[in-house]
Amino acid sequence: MDKSIESIWKEGFLKNDALLVPKLNDLYNQKSTHLVDKFKRRFKVNLKAIVIFSFIVLILSFLVGIPVMGVMMFFLFNGLVIVNNKLLKGLEKIDKNVSSYQYLKSFNDWMKEQISVNRRMAGFYYPYIFIALTLGFWFSSFNQDDILGNFHQIYLVNGIPVYWTISFLLITGLLAIFGGRIYTWEVGVFYGNIINKLEELITDIEELRS
Amino acid sequence: MSNDFYTSSILPFAAIIIKICRAYTNTQEDFEDYYQEVCLQIWRSKDNFREQAEWSTWIYRLSLNVCLTLLKKKKNSQEHFASDSLPDEVIEDSHAFGDESLNQLYDAIKQLSEVDRAVILLYLEEKTYQEIADIIGTNPNNIGVRIKRIKERLKKILNSKKNKWISQLNQFGKKGF
Repeated sequence: MDKSIESIWKEGFLKNDALLVPKLNDLYNQKSTHLVDKFKRRFKVNLKAIVIFSFIVLILSFLVGIPVMGVMMFFLFNGLVIVNNKLLKGLEKIDKNVSSYQYLKSFNDWMKEQISVNRRMAGFYYPYIFIALTLGFWFSSFNQDDILGNFHQIYLVNGIPVYWTISFLLITGLLAIFGGRIYTWEVGVFYGNIINKLEELITDIEELRS
Repeated sequence: MSNDFYTSSILPFAAIIIKICRAYTNTQEDFEDYYQEVCLQIWRSKDNFREQAEWSTWIYRLSLNVCLTLLKKKKNSQEHFASDSLPDEVIEDSHAFGDESLNQLYDAIKQLSEVDRAVILLYLEEKTYQEIADIIGTNPNNIGVRIKRIKERLKKILNSKKNKWISQLNQFGKKGF
C-alpha cells in the first residue's frame, strides 16, 4: 500500500465533492408529525390519568367520609374529560395532506382554541373544586361534632357564620377571577415544552418562506 | 443562535455526520435516510445536550448511536423479509466519493465490525483515545491496542483488494483486448 489510511482519509476529504450535504426535503414534515404526535400522546395520557384520578377520589371520599366532595369531583373531572375528548376529535380532523407549515398552523389554531375553551372553563371549575372541598367537609360524617361543637365560638349574624362566609365567598371569587391564569400556568407546566417547540418550528418555516 | 437550528447548529458539523453515515450505509438512498434521521435526532435531543461536552463531540456520539440503531433495525427487518432483500454486496455503492482511494478505504471500513468502524472513524478524525473512549463508552486503555489491530486489518483488506485487482488486470492483459 502506497499511502497510509490517515493520508487517504485527509486527502480524500480535501476534494470538494466529498462532503456534499444531502437535501433535507422531508425534515420539517417529520418534525411536525413528531411534535403533533407527541402532544396527542401526552394529551390522551393526561385525560386517562384524570379519569383514573376521578375514580380514586370517589372511592377515597367514601372511605374517608366525605362523599359529597368525591361525587362532585367525579362529575367535574369526567365532564372535563368529555369536553376535552370532543376537542381532541377536532385535532384528529386536521388534514395531514397539506404542507408542514399549514399542518402546524392548523395544529396551532386548534391548540389556541383548546386552551381558550379550557381557560374559560377554569373560571368555573376552580371555584367549583373549592366549593366541592368545602361542602365535602361541611357534610362529612367525621369532625361534625368538632365543627358543631365549636359553633358557639363562631361569630354569627342571623345564624350565618359571617367570617366563614366572607372567606368562602372571597376565595371562590378569587378562584373565579384567577382560574384562567391558574390554567395557563398549568398548561405551561404540562405542555410548555411542546408549545415552545411549535412556535420555534413555525418561526423556522416562516423564515424559510420569507 | 438563529432560529434556523439546522443552518446554525447542524450544517457546520455536517461533515461529521456525512463521514459517519457513509461508513454505515451502502447506497445513496440509505445514506440520505441515515443523514436525515441523524439531523432529526439532533433536533429532537438538543435539549439533552450537556455543556460539559463539546457540541461536535455530542454530534459524533449521537450520529454513531443513530447509525448503529438504524443498522440494527435494518438487519432485523432484513431477517423478517429475507426473501425480499438483496445482500449488501450486490447493492454496494463504492463510488460515493470522487477520490478512488477514499472509496476503497470506505469499502474496507465497511467490512469491519460496527464498533470497530466507530473506533477507526473517530481515530481518523483525530480524536484522542480519551475522547474515543468517552464517545463509545469504553476504557481508554484498550483503545490504542484496538486501533493498531484495526489498522492492520484495514491494510490487509486494502492490499488483498489491490492484489485481486492487479491479478484481474493481468488476466485481462493475457487474454488481450
